[in-house]
Amino acid sequence: MSSTHWSLVEAAALLLEPEEREVVLGDLAEAGEKGLRAVLGVLGLIAWRQVTAWREWRPWLAAFGVAMPGSFFLMGASISVSAGAAAWIYGGALTPAASAQLICEAVLLVAWSWTGGFVVGSISRRTLWVSAALCLSPCTVCLAEFRSQTLSRPCLMVFLIPALAGVLMGLRIRRIPFPIAMTLAVIVTSFLLPKLTTQPGWMSAWAVVWPAWYLVVVARRAKVAEAQAR
Amino acid sequence: MLGEFEYLLITAAAGLGDGAYGAAIREEIETSTGRTCSIGALYTTIERLETKGLLKTWMGEATAQRGGRAKRMIRVTPKGVRAAKDFYDAVAKVSRGASWVTHRGSTS
Repeated sequence: MSSTHWSLVEAAALLLEPEEREVVLGDLAEAGEKGLRAVLGVLGLIAWRQVTAWREWRPWLAAFGVAMPGSFFLMGASISVSAGAAAWIYGGALTPAASAQLICEAVLLVAWSWTGGFVVGSISRRTLWVSAALCLSPCTVCLAEFRSQTLSRPCLMVFLIPALAGVLMGLRIRRIPFPIAMTLAVIVTSFLLPKLTTQPGWMSAWAVVWPAWYLVVVARRAKVAEAQAR
Repeated sequence: MLGEFEYLLITAAAGLGDGAYGAAIREEIETSTGRTCSIGALYTTIERLETKGLLKTWMGEATAQRGGRAKRMIRVTPKGVRAAKDFYDAVAKVSRGASWVTHRGSTS
């Protein structure tokens, strides 16, 4: 096989999960599969995998229940935290109340983003690229429209850092221990209650709350299953 | 009941025994049937059969022939053997009396 064709095969295989990628590329190398047939074979497998994955409810929930609505809400939270941080850095010392509020908002931003990222990573590994695209498309539009004298555009996307950490963790493990999940869910919900019931944008606020409770349910089920197995 | 391709895959894996893995099964199917077996069809079927508990897979050793990449080893489970036998019995039963069946029971 020419190096160009093999490069194409390897590039296409990047869309497969690491273990499957290794197996498929090994099979193709061993069979001495020729150019276009190898490329089409890998693309065919990717297509099969996507069709199979989208037959389940999880990728839909991850993409349209967390990634897209969550990104609207978290961009707002990112601006709020960035504005508070800018006031603290450039405006001098904050009042104790303002400092406490800033710390609280920063912690919540990390908790919301990490939780959402973890759930997306753990329930939609094969369709992660769609969730990522749906999360980034509102960011792209907002980046173009964002105008502020005091804040730079990257401030919109502060939430992406903890979210990415959550995705990476979610790809490695499927659940977190029950006590941690419960603590996270209680913190995330209690601080968001006013937004959930009164303010506009409650739907996108829900998108950052339910993943925390989903983690509680998953952790609880695992705990019950372990207890029954003993 | 198994599908035709599922039966072919289980039978090829059972025949290869300890040497059953993706590329070997694919070659066996292509040689036996004269039909092309795509990587996509092979691995989606393997995953489906494993989900049903008819196959068990694990990562095997890497070889130089494969560019240092690991194999996905495959073993047919007892449930898979039963499913393949049921399929074979059904085909054998429905084929009785068909003109192309060479080993018919004696009629004389």
